[in-house]
Amino acid sequence: MDIIKEIYDAVMEGKVEDAASRVQQALNSKTEVNDILNKGLIAAMDVVGERFGEGELFIPQVLWSAKAMQAGMELLKPHFSAKDSTGKGTVVIGTAKGDIHDIGKNLVAIMLEGSGYNVADLGVEVTPERFIEKAVEVKADVIAVSALLTTTMQSMGEVVSLIKAKKLPFKVIIGGAPVDQAFCQEIGADAYGMDAADGLRKIKGLLGR
Amino acid sequence: MNIQVSREDLLKQLGYKEPPQPRLLDMVVEMLGLLEGLVEPRLTLKEIQDEEDLPPFFAGSVLKYAGAATLGPKLEDKVKDLFDEGKAADGYILDTAGSIAMTKAGNVLWDEIRQNAAAKGFRRGLRRTPGCRGVELETQKWIFEKLVDRDPRISLTASYMMIPRKSLSFLARFGGKWQGTFSCKSCPQYSDCSLRG
Repeated sequence: MDIIKEIYDAVMEGKVEDAASRVQQALNSKTEVNDILNKGLIAAMDVVGERFGEGELFIPQVLWSAKAMQAGMELLKPHFSAKDSTGKGTVVIGTAKGDIHDIGKNLVAIMLEGSGYNVADLGVEVTPERFIEKAVEVKADVIAVSALLTTTMQSMGEVVSLIKAKKLPFKVIIGGAPVDQAFCQEIGADAYGMDAADGLRKIKGLLGR
Repeated sequence: MNIQVSREDLLKQLGYKEPPQPRLLDMVVEMLGLLEGLVEPRLTLKEIQDEEDLPPFFAGSVLKYAGAATLGPKLEDKVKDLFDEGKAADGYILDTAGSIAMTKAGNVLWDEIRQNAAAKGFRRGLRRTPGCRGVELETQKWIFEKLVDRDPRISLTASYMMIPRKSLSFLARFGGKWQGTFSCKSCPQYSDCSLRG
């Protein structure tokens, strides 16, 4: 079987060891690194995301696939010379000020890393000022803010306001149970992720990569 | 108290309508086994006798309760460990099982309160959790001040979040005329809410 197809299948099936060994095999046989990345790893993860969005796959399987992709990505990293390993972008992520519920945020972070983004995870209860400070420090492309409660989602708007006040270039994506597209528009955020896979899709859309 | 989460409940909550692949099924069974040893449910309730300085939710009620339930800290410590070890799927499944267990513990507490109220002649009641519309999140502080002598084993952060996270609290009212003007139906979490009572 074509080695790229084997890599693709390993990610689709969430087989971490298979994904790593096939990527190593492909590297050993001088297969184009961009083909391994784009036609193997990323192509599979894109389909996993689509199937999740369509309700054919569920979060545990998506996490397996993300981990398999990440295992492959680790082997590819030394072969990229750009400032960030894949040039896909950097995301600063955390839960909104006052919110300690981090499962959703963790899922998004794992899926972003699995898809080749650099992720700066600030953890829980992140103040708007801290989001901005970190985003400036790591030259982020996107700030992703998660909230579980209606009482904590208000600080998402403060992140957007700070960015606008300081005329910073960061895009903002928000997500979490109480958040919706209307709230996203109300506070002037750039995107709303309905779930982890949708968040990943929206970030890809925001960055065009 | 024994809080049981069935394999079927967990699979349904994870989204699976059909039996999943054996690998996932094995993981679900393993996490349910882990859950049993990690949850330490503690339910706390108290009838409120005060007539002054009450949360507005109690206005006009005859019988009033504050209640809280927690699964203890071990579960979330294990979930964090699993995520830190790169076992995100395991962590997510265990956390989801914990959420189901938390809902069940809350329902057990609500049943206890209803039985208590029924013994006093009240059959229908309402419960609301702080943060719901009409019950300010700051009400958490009031609840836990009332429950402190019952040692609920839950602490609050500065933003009134409960630690352990797998905890819940609520106010319950029976009798009298409900004077609330808010509607749960406009809440964004209406469809998933299990605390409306």
